[in-house]
Amino acid sequence: MNYLKEVWGSRELLFNLTSREVRGKYKRTIFGQLWSLANPLALMLIYTLVFGIIFKSNPEPGNPSGLNVFALWLLCGLLPWTFFANVVNTASGSLVGNANLIQKVSFSRIVLPLSTVGSSAYNWAFEMAVLVIALSIAGGFVLPWIPLVLVAMVLLAIFAAGVGLLFSIANVYFRDTQYLLSIVLQLWIYLSPIIYPTTLVVSKSKELGGLLGTPITLAGLYDLNPIVHFVAIFRALMYDNRWPDPSEWLICLAWALVTLLLGAVVFRRNERKLAEAL
Amino acid sequence: MRGRTSVHEDFLALRDVTFDVPQGSTFGLIGSNGSGKSTLLKCLANIYYPNQGAITHFGKIAAMLEVGSGFHAELSGRENIFLNGSILGMSKKEVTRKLDEIIDFSGVEQFIDQPVKNYSSGMYVRLGFAIAINVDPDILVVDEVLAVGDADFQAKCFAKFADFRNAGKTVILVSHSMETVKTMCDHAAWLNHGTLETVGEAAPTIDAYLRSLNGPAA
Repeated sequence: MNYLKEVWGSRELLFNLTSREVRGKYKRTIFGQLWSLANPLALMLIYTLVFGIIFKSNPEPGNPSGLNVFALWLLCGLLPWTFFANVVNTASGSLVGNANLIQKVSFSRIVLPLSTVGSSAYNWAFEMAVLVIALSIAGGFVLPWIPLVLVAMVLLAIFAAGVGLLFSIANVYFRDTQYLLSIVLQLWIYLSPIIYPTTLVVSKSKELGGLLGTPITLAGLYDLNPIVHFVAIFRALMYDNRWPDPSEWLICLAWALVTLLLGAVVFRRNERKLAEAL
Repeated sequence: MRGRTSVHEDFLALRDVTFDVPQGSTFGLIGSNGSGKSTLLKCLANIYYPNQGAITHFGKIAAMLEVGSGFHAELSGRENIFLNGSILGMSKKEVTRKLDEIIDFSGVEQFIDQPVKNYSSGMYVRLGFAIAINVDPDILVVDEVLAVGDADFQAKCFAKFADFRNAGKTVILVSHSMETVKTMCDHAAWLNHGTLETVGEAAPTIDAYLRSLNGPAA
């Protein structure tokens, strides 16, 4: 409880550090904030070309929205994913990168990884707003679902914050973490239904049945990946324009809360040792 | 207190150091390089936490171990005042109230809306110092940062420390300049290889320290 109070007391610092990142990031570039769209757009073009056109990955049309555009379908999962990957990446480097500050000034250390969530969320919100406009132009009826999309975004941000806190501490003690992390994230995107639909895994799973004679199925294992559920919610709300399965909400909520709690506890236990360990 | 550890062994940077700092005094920490002054200061500043023992203080404590920590080079001086102020624990309201005083003290009015990367190193530390000195704590912990800026600015800093003392606040400072310690401090502690050698009135402590340095030679 005391810790919550301490973190709450640092909210102004958190806000300032976030805006330092946001304002400092695109300073002295010609296109400014537009650069935050460049990366997802480039990924979209590449994946659409490779998986949408060459491999002909064909997700079902949005039901009931009727949308059938691979690029938009892709972005509904890709934008949440890139946000998540960004947060985990930058948060994991946030303590090591601010080592000098940590060794010279006493303040609530948790604001460093948390501010990376804030600055990534700012860019993500911008990207999502553009996506909503694109979906609306394509004929989707997204606007009424925006409040729920926001709830889902908050859940994913909480989950990302928890993972980010864990990796930020891990990276202080094992600098190998940052290199391992980029491999893990590359693997993770292919283990998630970002560029192919979940139905592909489900049908393959039915084909295979229980793995090695056990009742464990491929789809069962696949469901252990929390990103699967987050993406399911975003696709349902934004691409299909329907209520996501309530169980998906519960799974995401549980993942978000448990991860954040774990991250906060681990962070708190190590916070005081940081200045020496760095 | 475990100091910066090497990979394999622990090193005790400080052991059995006990003393009181009288309220309202200006207290100097002296000793040779590696005697544990800075480690002690970091403990006082809540950056390191002692493995054993405790530090008790009354009132708000603020540390000035480095000036301009957390400045963002691309942001303007004004933006950095707010950013740095909040890192040092000031609220936005407080910073706004003291903004004129900070800018005035730093002497960089003319460039305050320029990105700090264009500042000369003197301007940079002057701005950092001006923010830090305006945190307005009851106890101020200072590490060798008095040597910033030109003679003019240094005189301003000393005047500010004198104001501080007159307001009944406590200053704890580390310095290698015995001149500084002699003129500013009324009490001092001499650390030697992580243990406390002498503590008490400034003049006798400094003399004892200087004698020990000259001892072998004489």
